[in-house]
Amino acid sequence: MSPTAMAHALNAGLRRAMEDDDRVVLIGEDIGRLGGVFRVTDGLQKDFGDLRVVDSPLGEAGIVGSAIGLAMAGYRPVCEIQFDGFVFPAMNQIVTQLAKYRHRAEGRASLPVVVRIPVGGGIGAIEHHSESPEAYFAHTAGLKVVCPSSPQDAYDLVRQAVRSDDPVVFLEPKRSYWRKGELDLDAVPAPVERARVLRAGDDVTVVTYGALVPVALEVARICAEEGRSAEVIDLRCLSPIDDATILDSVRRTGRLVVAHEASRTAGLGAEIAARVQDRAFYSLEAPVQRVTGYDTPYPPSRLEEDWLPGVDRVLDAVDRTFEH
Amino acid sequence: MTAVQGDTNAPPETSDVEVLLTIRHFETLLLRMFGEGRLNGTTHTCLGQEYVPVALEPLIADDFVLSNHRGHGHYLARFRDPAGLLAEIMGRAGAVCSGVGGSQHLHRDGFLSTGVQGQSLPVAVGIGLHHKRTGSGRIAVAYVGDGTWGEGAVYEALNMAALWRVPVLVVVEHNGIAQSTPTRLQMAGSIADRAAAFGVDFLEITGHDLTEIRELAAPVVRRVREEHRPAVLQFTTRRLGPHSKGDDTRTAEEVEPLWALDWHAELSARMGEEFSRLDERVRAEVQRVAEEVDARPPAEWEPAGGRLPRPVVSGG
Repeated sequence: MSPTAMAHALNAGLRRAMEDDDRVVLIGEDIGRLGGVFRVTDGLQKDFGDLRVVDSPLGEAGIVGSAIGLAMAGYRPVCEIQFDGFVFPAMNQIVTQLAKYRHRAEGRASLPVVVRIPVGGGIGAIEHHSESPEAYFAHTAGLKVVCPSSPQDAYDLVRQAVRSDDPVVFLEPKRSYWRKGELDLDAVPAPVERARVLRAGDDVTVVTYGALVPVALEVARICAEEGRSAEVIDLRCLSPIDDATILDSVRRTGRLVVAHEASRTAGLGAEIAARVQDRAFYSLEAPVQRVTGYDTPYPPSRLEEDWLPGVDRVLDAVDRTFEH
Repeated sequence: MTAVQGDTNAPPETSDVEVLLTIRHFETLLLRMFGEGRLNGTTHTCLGQEYVPVALEPLIADDFVLSNHRGHGHYLARFRDPAGLLAEIMGRAGAVCSGVGGSQHLHRDGFLSTGVQGQSLPVAVGIGLHHKRTGSGRIAVAYVGDGTWGEGAVYEALNMAALWRVPVLVVVEHNGIAQSTPTRLQMAGSIADRAAAFGVDFLEITGHDLTEIRELAAPVVRRVREEHRPAVLQFTTRRLGPHSKGDDTRTAEEVEPLWALDWHAELSARMGEEFSRLDERVRAEVQRVAEEVDARPPAEWEPAGGRLPRPVVSGG
């Protein structure tokens, strides 16, 4: 156990996955000598060679498409998309081929491809370096979508994603890359599709994931000072959603706030709110509240602190759930 | 490099003619069944282009084929399975992939089709990369049309294939029309020049004589296989039918001359009585298959090797 940054935990997880299985190959832009823009693959080409860590030309359809071909031939490819906004040229490959293949093959074949994407804002970057595209993937049947919030989860989930026989869209919150946390390289990982209750509480449930997890924990700390007990759930897996963990919590607390960076309309918050009202309607003391990015393109960096959901906006939402 | 059709006197093998005719009568039957309301969904027939996959098949028999929306001929030339394909299109028992794919999304060992233009080329690169690395001697073959060359994924894949010397063969069925848009309205420059820009081998074949095509294409395929040089093989061909069904925007005056160039008429003249007998026998056989498949129960998903299909479902 030692404090480790998420980027280093991901690196360790990929290294372990490559040691465990020589069918694992990495492909992406500048992932070899440079180690990727965020250095997640640092040193891997040096240690595993350029047949297993492949620097690709610019071309995300080519990256994901060739990974699909490699997976069909028996490899377990891990693609790196350099930034969230760069995944869109690969959407066709992801939506029409990667997500559909098991269905097409009647379950007889699947594509064990991981698509790693740095996501979200808060790093002073620009629009297409700061986006939160998770809802597009969660909306696509046939994909698992995961998003770790801690170095330990990053390490565990990336290894589990590589072992998955089905495609996984692996979202890495950029502003969490250099946050440190304890990392146990031999810990027994939780199931991929299980949300994690990070802080138990009785009065309100806050569901979030990725870079907003520390925000939700800070909200819970402040709530405690104000005499309110907030439960914080880290989703970890955005598709499929762990309904049971959310419903168990809401049936106890009666109040739910969902927070994410992505824009509001048709986002994960809407989906979770719909599921909860459907299955825990009579437990609810108040309407489900969403705290999200706005329905606008991502703003210039000097405005992003206003755009991103922060502690104050989540606290306001908690307050609203007590107004009823 | 352009190869033109020369005079070839040797008649084609009977088994090849049977496959040609199977595809012709299969496609004709589909259009008729749509017209009678016995089929639904959509289809794209390869009338006029049947000879391309039939000619290539012996050269690529063990190789992975990535097909497209106009892929019935590619499938039938490979598997000679009109019953399985028709069952797939009709959603009947015995379907190639239990009716979940339909006309243009077929999946079978060594064969995958998608209707989304150009998207199979990057996948071919991945498959080819595997064969290059393992020295298997196999290649990946992707069928595209002339219209496909408007898609960006084509160029990402050509770049990777040429850069990494991947054994990928791109077969272009250049029928001069992309759905309703003639080539001159949708393509700048030429496919040959585009291949040249990537340093990719290119050969155009204009004839439809199977023996001659095989002689011309064999060295190209051999270079792809042995030297891992990607290549583009362009068949200058003709689409005799509609894009899909009843959507041919060409006038009769435009289509009629194409029929005069058709392999069917040419083989009939060349083979005479024998061709007529084969033609009638295959037509009757395809009709019999249609009646038999039509009478089957609906397709069902079956357990795969003891493992039930378990698609990952979003939501629910």
